[in-house]
Amino acid sequence: MRKLLQTLETLRQKRKLGLMTHVVVGYPRLEETIRLVKAMGETGADLIELQMPFSDPVADGPTILIANKVSLDQGTKMRDCLRVMSQLSGEMEVPLLFMGYYNLIFNYGVEKFCQDAAKAGAQGLIVPDIPPDEESEEHYYEACNQYGLVPIIVVSPASTEKRLKMLANYAKGFVYAVSRYGITGARAELAPELIDYLKRVRQFIHLPLAVGFGISKKEHIQALAPHAEIAVVGSALINLYNQLPEGEKIEGIKKFIRELKN
Amino acid sequence: MKSIAVQVTNYQALPDERGHFGIYGGRYVPEMLFPALEELEAAYLEAKKDPAFHKELNDLYTHYSGRPTPLYFCSNLSRQLQGAKIYVKNEGLNHTGAHKINHCLGQALLAKRMGKRRIIAETGAGQHGLASATVAAKFGFQCVIYMGEVDVARQRPNVFWMERLGAEVRPVTFGNKTLTDAVNAALKDWIENVRDTYYLLGSAVGPHPYPTIVRDFQSVVGREVRKQLQEQEGRLPDYIIACVGGGSNAMGIFYEFLNEEKVRLIGVEAGGRGIRPGEHAARFQGGRLGVVEGFKSFFLQDEDGQIMKTHSVSAGLDYAGVGPEISYLWETGRIQASYATDEEALEALQILIRTEGIIPALESAHAVAEAIKLAPKLDRDKIIVVNLSGRGDKDIFIIAEALKDVKWQEFLKSKVNHPGHVT
Repeated sequence: MRKLLQTLETLRQKRKLGLMTHVVVGYPRLEETIRLVKAMGETGADLIELQMPFSDPVADGPTILIANKVSLDQGTKMRDCLRVMSQLSGEMEVPLLFMGYYNLIFNYGVEKFCQDAAKAGAQGLIVPDIPPDEESEEHYYEACNQYGLVPIIVVSPASTEKRLKMLANYAKGFVYAVSRYGITGARAELAPELIDYLKRVRQFIHLPLAVGFGISKKEHIQALAPHAEIAVVGSALINLYNQLPEGEKIEGIKKFIRELKN
Repeated sequence: MKSIAVQVTNYQALPDERGHFGIYGGRYVPEMLFPALEELEAAYLEAKKDPAFHKELNDLYTHYSGRPTPLYFCSNLSRQLQGAKIYVKNEGLNHTGAHKINHCLGQALLAKRMGKRRIIAETGAGQHGLASATVAAKFGFQCVIYMGEVDVARQRPNVFWMERLGAEVRPVTFGNKTLTDAVNAALKDWIENVRDTYYLLGSAVGPHPYPTIVRDFQSVVGREVRKQLQEQEGRLPDYIIACVGGGSNAMGIFYEFLNEEKVRLIGVEAGGRGIRPGEHAARFQGGRLGVVEGFKSFFLQDEDGQIMKTHSVSAGLDYAGVGPEISYLWETGRIQASYATDEEALEALQILIRTEGIIPALESAHAVAEAIKLAPKLDRDKIIVVNLSGRGDKDIFIIAEALKDVKWQEFLKSKVNHPGHVT
């Protein structure tokens, strides 16, 4: 929790848009995940999501879905995810978060997972399919809080006022705002719907907003900067990684992140 | 695995207002789906209270689908087995050949009431896609069916009919290119087009309120059975047997009898090639509690919680999860779980065809297999009702292949070599 809160505070003071990047643990191989995360951290990623691969990733698009499958086909296990987290968090100051689907955590044991993830150095959890609506059954948010993990709330353009108010009670650290709306027109401006949506979220939740809408260019980041605190880059990184020739992949990712950050 | 019998006073009182059947069910979905599910729930609760809605649905059941379907006494089969009397509830005589039309009609009316113009559905083998395309044609909805690329290739006859019915079949080209990936693609479509699109779910699974909606639209099956058996035998059945994939036909016939504790309810899962990892789809034989695709229930999963591959000769039972209400009823001891292997189902299919002249769907043949095992152990005054959820003649390609019919293979080859020829 400490590293995450510190990073958020630093971003606030510098009034700079932060960058959150994403990897799927074990894609394409475990050792490569470690190299990738380190490379991202060295070149300026402010936060990094480590996705634990799952067989049925319903909230992900084709790129990440395929990465999940490849990783599982390689034999990636939950213990590998925790080991990778532990190794990386010991070597980096950049806050690392686990992203994953609830069945993995439920199956592991919610309390035990939170305990082990925190011990491995995870700063928070991003779990799209565990809404607070099921908290009286699952005690997931309770376990996160107990072990010092920040449970990241996800909001969507379809979230009603009533739901935003309810979600505000559980939100900590920052809020992950997903969006289909992105950049419009040749002048690379944010879609007005996206700006309205972010304003609406801010009315009810007073935390930094991390926004992802398929960001893949520096122009996207520049357009987003006045409206959010953190830009989320996910599948664009995997797509780029896949396209780069062997031997140039890590360098290519570093170059891309440097460009985004400048 | 053993279930623990507990005291329940009213089995029909569930789910609770958040969609829980005991610890099962619920709404474990990403935030972007919440508003759509809340809208659906509100529309359904309102429709449920509206007599005009029920009247319209009942008219469709009667005049479009051909309900009530017969409850037929299998005198030859019963005599041959020398035990209990076996009745079949012949849902195969519905329009489109299976019970699926019951919840497709109900959901189509709901979609119309909600002002939606477009319906989407996922399908594995194509049966649900076909039923969805049928109601879309009838009600004038635009219709998109998501189907894994592998399934599109395997199930050409169903794809052919869906397209004739005016649906667009969109092959899903990522992942394993089968049912899970089709669900994934359909969900994304729904998230993006929720304003004008209704997601027509194919079984008593998924997040609240789907398991309840599907069960309620299917429960007409059990109500008819009660009335028909009363007329024919003047009493309740002793056993009711249904196959269980997601649980739509099972909940349909069981629901009416849940509080009749003397009526024993048996759910038959797919034993596939035997109860070994990856070889079957019997969730109560080694499945564990999990939270997948929006609900909590029993799933076949590995030690990490990854969903395992399943196998069954019948596509409709080939699913790693089971509906939440089925899990609840199993846990409380109200229903008993059994399974039939591919081989047993195929044998039962041939027995029913030969003795009664009824061709069951491969799914339903699993329930028939259980009846064939059970009947000889019971006295002749006992009554078993089997839910024959679908008919098999529409599955001619799959059944002929499963039975390894050599002449059929020759026929297919001759069609390929001499297209258009009448042989």
